[in-house]
Amino acid sequence: MPNKNGSVYGLTILSPIIEDKSATPSHDLQIRNYLAHLSTREESPFAQAPGTHLARLVVMDDVIYVGAPACEDHLKSKYLIFESNCDGDLDSYLSGLAENIPDHLDAVWKHCVGYPGAVNRPAFINYMKACQLDTTFFFAAVNDKTVTETLRALQTQNAVADFIATHQGVDAVTLQREFIEFVAHLKAMPPPKPGSMGPHRDIKTGGRNE
Amino acid sequence: MSKLNETDIQGFVLRGYNLPVARYLFLRFEGAARARKLIGRLLSEITTGQRWDGVKPQSTVNIAFTHRGLERLELPDATLLSFPVEFQQGMRHRAEILGDCGVNSPDHWEEIWREDRVDAWIGINGVTGESLEARCAATLSLINETGGATAISSQDAAAVVINGKPTTSEHFGYTDGFGNPDYLGIERSTQPGQGKLMPNRTWAPLATGELLLGYADEAGELPVAPIPHLLASNGTFMVYRKLHQNVATFRAYLDKQSLLYGGGKEKLAAKFIGRWRDGTPLELSPDHPDQAIVQNSNRNTDFTYGADAEGNRCPIGAHIRRVHPRDAFGFNGQLINRRRITRRGLPYGRFVPEGEPVDDTEERGIIFMVLNASLSRQFEFVQQQWVQYGNDARLGNDKDMLLGSHGGTGRFVVQGEARPSNPPFVCSNLPDFVELRGGDYFFLPSITALGMIAMGLVDPR
Repeated sequence: MPNKNGSVYGLTILSPIIEDKSATPSHDLQIRNYLAHLSTREESPFAQAPGTHLARLVVMDDVIYVGAPACEDHLKSKYLIFESNCDGDLDSYLSGLAENIPDHLDAVWKHCVGYPGAVNRPAFINYMKACQLDTTFFFAAVNDKTVTETLRALQTQNAVADFIATHQGVDAVTLQREFIEFVAHLKAMPPPKPGSMGPHRDIKTGGRNE
Repeated sequence: MSKLNETDIQGFVLRGYNLPVARYLFLRFEGAARARKLIGRLLSEITTGQRWDGVKPQSTVNIAFTHRGLERLELPDATLLSFPVEFQQGMRHRAEILGDCGVNSPDHWEEIWREDRVDAWIGINGVTGESLEARCAATLSLINETGGATAISSQDAAAVVINGKPTTSEHFGYTDGFGNPDYLGIERSTQPGQGKLMPNRTWAPLATGELLLGYADEAGELPVAPIPHLLASNGTFMVYRKLHQNVATFRAYLDKQSLLYGGGKEKLAAKFIGRWRDGTPLELSPDHPDQAIVQNSNRNTDFTYGADAEGNRCPIGAHIRRVHPRDAFGFNGQLINRRRITRRGLPYGRFVPEGEPVDDTEERGIIFMVLNASLSRQFEFVQQQWVQYGNDARLGNDKDMLLGSHGGTGRFVVQGEARPSNPPFVCSNLPDFVELRGGDYFFLPSITALGMIAMGLVDPR
């Protein structure tokens, strides 16, 4: 399966952007503008819909071939690239997007050629699949767990670490009683919201610090 | 590769002088022409990397410039703009990237660092207080004669003296100063554990370009450097950080945590750093200090973490394991070879032995200086990713126990094992043991480059 690694799906979609000389500003610029204003963390559209580990949207203007022999090649149109590491099977993931964030999808993809709108669910799924490329090779640092499982694990890890830190040196009887209470409390807690578990960091990039 | 030209490289770059007293002068230039004249007069005073062959000088002098200082020397714009961005910006503007926030933020720095006032650093080291004073007086009179600069501030530093002898101890009581990296072409007494780890488990020197501009680095590339080439070659970048140490806070925290920790106070102190306070690496002697290891330079930096993946001996978040992970990330240590830094520095302030009353508000800490070819790739990466963050070591958001900016939060985990004398333990509610009081990024040029600057011959064309 070129698009799957364990239970994680590597989705790649390239949608041609409408070329319309009369549009002001042009459709690609309208997409860029919309994307630049999207929220992050818990407010991100991809946190509102289920099943996204990581996603990105990119406007690709052109890919210019610069190698030898000398020639000049261009793409036939500009493209919107959508890449997502997501859970489970593709149909239910796409349905989840259409169900939960139809306005965002329409606001972005209405600038793409042939987009039918999110309201027509089968047409939407067919459109996305028609634009799909095989991912073939991808890396998703998610240990083959679903988004919900990952969030649960982070929640458990944090809670257990806090419990240990606050219970060092406590006598065995108290420790057991409080641990039983703690486990019951932890089980009853709702899973954290997607996008909520990261530390608040002002730096938006991971390892780059330019 | 052939031997480097030691007569062209400032001695401070090639070797730790191991001289017990120092004063760092901070200059503001007064007029480009006079400042250049001052540099010209200082040129013959600068200590180079030439070997001393047994006869140590009584004192040494070295010089470095901030980007502002180079501007005030009126280097050509095309040269000034060719310096790496982080050097142009200076350390204060990089505070967010470095995690210098809370009590470490520039608002809390000493006045000279809060504003863009320092143009140059002159580092003077001495064998004795007298030789240091004499060299400082001579340097200051040169400054006054030429009118090229004002010494707006100075910082004294000195090795901690215990039982009448200068030591390599710092204020928390740890023996410091083990293991700077070896580099190709630099002659020094090397010891295993100080360069890069090779697939056959031996150690080899790092590429020269990890320290000096103008040479190939570990990627086989020339480091990003200003133009012209001659200005950059044989030079390096220096980080200067004045790190205040809250010794009272440290001792109180260690005492309090020791009551809960089954391994005892000294073992807990060792777990923070990865070495017992006498310098014995935990990796080589997990249960007791061992002077036989400390005194043996073939052993005291020769260890790896591959056999201690769980951190039973040396915690995964211990200071020395964070800042020099050796083979801890796998791939025979190759992931870290471009993140190495050379450290210089000395403590400042009065040393207070254990058991005597001590106060956090007293001036006391360490002048920490870093030398590297790329501030952003080396020092800034280590500070941001390995000191102020834990993800590379799979420690999530945990920061370095002693250097991290905690503000009363955060956690340090001693992994430990089932043995009662080496139990797992979690330190939480971490105070700020160390506070940044200021500093900046400096360019430490070669002797040739200093001459070019002095003569106004820097030509980027």
